[in-house]
Amino acid sequence: MATFLNTLLQNIISGPATDPFPFGETFSPKRVRGLIRIDRDLCLGCGMCRHVCAAGAINIQRNSLGWTITIWQDSCCLCRSCVTYCPMHAMSIDPNWHSAHVEEDKYKRIEQHTISYQPCARCGTPMRVMSLERAKELYAADPDIDPEEIRHLCRSCRQIRDAEQSTVCMLRSDISTAPAAEKS
Amino acid sequence: MSLDTLLKKASVRSPWLFRINAGSCNGCDVELATTALIPRYDVERLGCHYTGSPRQADIVLVTGPVTVHMRDYVLRVWNEIPEPKVTVAVGICPISGGVFRDSYSIAGPLSRLVPVDVNVPGCPPRPQAIMEAVVLARSIWLKKLGLEG
Repeated sequence: MATFLNTLLQNIISGPATDPFPFGETFSPKRVRGLIRIDRDLCLGCGMCRHVCAAGAINIQRNSLGWTITIWQDSCCLCRSCVTYCPMHAMSIDPNWHSAHVEEDKYKRIEQHTISYQPCARCGTPMRVMSLERAKELYAADPDIDPEEIRHLCRSCRQIRDAEQSTVCMLRSDISTAPAAEKS
Repeated sequence: MSLDTLLKKASVRSPWLFRINAGSCNGCDVELATTALIPRYDVERLGCHYTGSPRQADIVLVTGPVTVHMRDYVLRVWNEIPEPKVTVAVGICPISGGVFRDSYSIAGPLSRLVPVDVNVPGCPPRPQAIMEAVVLARSIWLKKLGLEG
């Protein structure tokens, strides 16, 4: 009896449990899945997201100038596979869950980016410029290489540039290749 | 004031909801039940009430990708709902086919069969998103009745 009265009193003090939405503010969990977003600076157009997309919501169209990546949010099942498998971490989830819309907007709910190739700074081949963050991350151990310069080079020119000026090869020879001391 | 106008004005506060499961995985149906039954969301605050009969419904919520087997049943039940009615596609399946798109057993998406008014994508959508869709559907329903906007 006392327990029941205690619960009753607590319920009276804490007020109604109903969320005031849509007349007031509502809560939103931090990791709620709302929309998929693409970071156009990071996307390499490799097509991994399209390959793993369970709902077929991602399309990539390539031509000689670059590629267009499209996500149709009305087909995306928010399984997060593209976020997991994107090698460049270009995909992310926006927690905006306000998704109700009228029929006319059905095909307007897309995330589309057209990314164009740029010529390689050395040989002029059309290529995708690496993002500065990624270049810094890759060449963090090599102070001789300027990430801003290396990110504008195509793959073969990058290898040539590495071989020409890098001191990493020399540094690597310092690493001891002798077998580790046996356990006592 | 004619009886028709009187009935229209009286019913404005309570659009009744009807659910059609057109081959859904039950995820969206669980969210619809959550929206109605759990005191935290409580769609009945908006005057909405789930009805068991399509003849009493004003807003119809369709879940599932409309399988070939369900197509005739969906159309039959949908045609029993009196005009003006508002069709809401709940989840990505009735909107685009979702993960079942281009399957041999899918007759949808829903907009291929009946006129859809409101879409609420998600797999499944949050109860709050469904509430937003019901509010949007209610405003469209009022426009169809000629009472607002």
